[in-house]
Amino acid sequence: MADKNYYSIDPLGKLQCMKCHVALVKGKAKFMYLDNGFPVELPVCPSCGFVYVPEALALGKVLSVEKALEDK
Amino acid sequence: MTMEERSTRIYRQKQMLSKQELTERENLCIHEQPAYCVAACPLKLDAKALVEAVAADDFSKALSLYEKITPFVHILSAGCEAPCEGKCRLAETGGAISIRSLEQAAAAYGESPKGRGLLRFKKKKTAAILGSGLFPAFLAGELAKKAYPLTVFCAEPDAEAFLAAGAEFLDGDAVRKDAGTLKAMDIEFRFRTGMTAGLLDQVRAAYDIVCVSPEFLAEALPGAAVEEATMLCRELNVISAPAGAAGVLDSAFGAKKAALTVDRLAQNLDPMNSRGDEGPCETALITNMAGAPSTARVPGAERGYTRQEAVREAGRCIRCSCTECIKGCVYLQHYHKYPKLLTREIYNNVGIIMGDHMMNRPINSCALCGQCAVICPNGYDMADICLMARQNMVTTDKMPLAPHEFALLDQMFSNSDAFLCRPQPGFQTCRYVFFPGCQAAAIAPETVRAAYLDLTSRLPGGVALMLGCCGAISEWAGRYQMQEETAAFIGGRLEALGNPTIIAGCPTCGKTLARLEGTKVEGIWDVLDEIGLPAGGTGLSRPAALHDACGARGDRRTQEKVRKIAEKLGCRLVETDYSGDESPCCGYGGLVMYANREVASKMAQMCVNRTDAPYITYCMACRDRFAREGKASRHILELVYGTDAGAPPDISEKRYNRLSLKSGLLNEIWGEETAEMTCEFPMEFTPKALAEMDDRMILKSDVIAVMASLRETGEAIFDSESGFLVTRKRIGNVTFWVRYEEKDGGYIIRGAYSHRMKVEARQA
Repeated sequence: MADKNYYSIDPLGKLQCMKCHVALVKGKAKFMYLDNGFPVELPVCPSCGFVYVPEALALGKVLSVEKALEDK
Repeated sequence: MTMEERSTRIYRQKQMLSKQELTERENLCIHEQPAYCVAACPLKLDAKALVEAVAADDFSKALSLYEKITPFVHILSAGCEAPCEGKCRLAETGGAISIRSLEQAAAAYGESPKGRGLLRFKKKKTAAILGSGLFPAFLAGELAKKAYPLTVFCAEPDAEAFLAAGAEFLDGDAVRKDAGTLKAMDIEFRFRTGMTAGLLDQVRAAYDIVCVSPEFLAEALPGAAVEEATMLCRELNVISAPAGAAGVLDSAFGAKKAALTVDRLAQNLDPMNSRGDEGPCETALITNMAGAPSTARVPGAERGYTRQEAVREAGRCIRCSCTECIKGCVYLQHYHKYPKLLTREIYNNVGIIMGDHMMNRPINSCALCGQCAVICPNGYDMADICLMARQNMVTTDKMPLAPHEFALLDQMFSNSDAFLCRPQPGFQTCRYVFFPGCQAAAIAPETVRAAYLDLTSRLPGGVALMLGCCGAISEWAGRYQMQEETAAFIGGRLEALGNPTIIAGCPTCGKTLARLEGTKVEGIWDVLDEIGLPAGGTGLSRPAALHDACGARGDRRTQEKVRKIAEKLGCRLVETDYSGDESPCCGYGGLVMYANREVASKMAQMCVNRTDAPYITYCMACRDRFAREGKASRHILELVYGTDAGAPPDISEKRYNRLSLKSGLLNEIWGEETAEMTCEFPMEFTPKALAEMDDRMILKSDVIAVMASLRETGEAIFDSESGFLVTRKRIGNVTFWVRYEEKDGGYIIRGAYSHRMKVEARQA
């Protein structure tokens, strides 16, 4: 079955994990809110698994989905 | 301090109001009541809409509204006795709108839609009308409209003469126009019929329903009675009108009633039953005429208005409706809804088990200030509805935490880290306890200190101090359990102090605490009025307006005491609209500033725009909200104690002020040392970051916690595009992200943002 992603960001090598000293890569992540889950692809550290949520995503799409879910 | 998020997978429901309670509430709102002119018309003409259409120079629309009540627009508009004009409220200020002249103008300048309209099937039952005059003419129009196969028997030679027989007052041109309308109707005419009594039997044999003119009836059966309600002459089993000269309006109304009777008879139903609402009605509308223009009628009605004159005359109409609550309330204005409609939508929203709750935001955007209940002639209380809905949503787990969490955490902070309760040194129990309120401690800590020192020096029996939140925040959020816990918490502390009289520094605290069992509450203004003002107070040099707090609504005593104190200080007070009990909310009440910042800001602006004078308030939240909008505003206690809280603090400063007031007073009055609030590593915030954090409701303490976590975990990323480091920590229900640079073993904070969603890596 094809893997569904609601959102995808490729860090294109511009982000560096300060703990593991490796570049973040496009990796599988999951947003969860009020018992709902959304698979996404975000910049993830291949070593420690740190998932980065950029500001534009947090204040844009994430906020609007939060608001929509809050009214469910 | 954490609170549990809800789940969207919980499907609970609880009715907010019974159907009957809902209807009772809704019926209090008179916004939908018909305008006075509309209620007065027995033919149910929407005169208000007609006048509005004329005012908009849309005579065709006006005509189409008029044609709904009669096809003979010239006869009716020329001869109508116009009871609507007698009820027009403008009669009180200048002159009633000349509605009949506007109807004539609509008939003269409007154009009926071309074309034949919808194909309508003829009814099976046949009808006949015998005789001529106003009643038969209008009835012919009504029955033709209802698609009865209709035959009219009359002595006149043609349609024009048939119409003219009842409308001698009308000039030939108007009769010709209405006759044109009559001819276009699907009516079979038997002109030049000898109207003898024998005709009735012939017609009765051939037609299902027979209607006769009153003159014909008088000849056929002298003295025959006609029922007023049904227009039925039961002796002859014909439909007619009472004998005697009836006016145009009476005839048209009689024809409407008769046509309804025809419908009932055609279906073999009792003509008395199920007639609906006929004739003029009473309206419960209340239109406030204060400020209504006093204009006289545009001359020219007698000869007939020109187009332009009609538009001007219609432009005088004030479109009677009741909008009293909306005029004073930003919340109702913002949602363009009147209380009845809003209540129904909120009620429906609360009833939704699964799906989108579109009214959640409006429910949380009411300031719960109670202004509407004071202004509404019937006392409609939207605050009660919205609070009930919020409590209901909390009960059923439908209330999102996001809009109120910051405020609720703030209440918890006030009643934990920043809480202070001590008897006056030298006393075990006290006669009084000063309760300044959380916002006073957050915004004007110096003023709180000065007030407490003053009270302890001048009141006998000991004055304790309680710094904390009264629980209004949890009440506004609908979190009744938390409210009960807070009440129990404060109640316990009061008991330990010997149940002293509470001296409230905030009207809302006073009102909230007065509801606790066995408490006695006075406002600090009551005390100051009694013991006199301390030295050192100063009034404002220029005239000021007093903004009444919504917490003091209905509390004339507090409103007057504060005014008295302001005057004693030498302030010259100017009056504003919506003062006293009608005062609007500053936007803090009901937690609007957390749930809907746009509405809260509009609320503050509305207050600010009421006057050019600076504001004196007696609620610290009002003072803060106005100052944030750039308005000069001072709390009355700042003036009494000669202190100045200055520019409004940001959200972090509000917390810091409470903590430092607590530690400062503990040290100064009770000689207790408290640990200094220090950060273990150097931190700097850029002004941009501080503004961003205030806007996004991110506290300095949140950022410090994120950075402390970074020092433990080392988890951060470097963004080569922006050149900044970014780290994060989840605190409670929120993930906080901080953009920073490292400097001398510490950090320069460049910005911060947050989201409530949890995020984690998942396996491929």
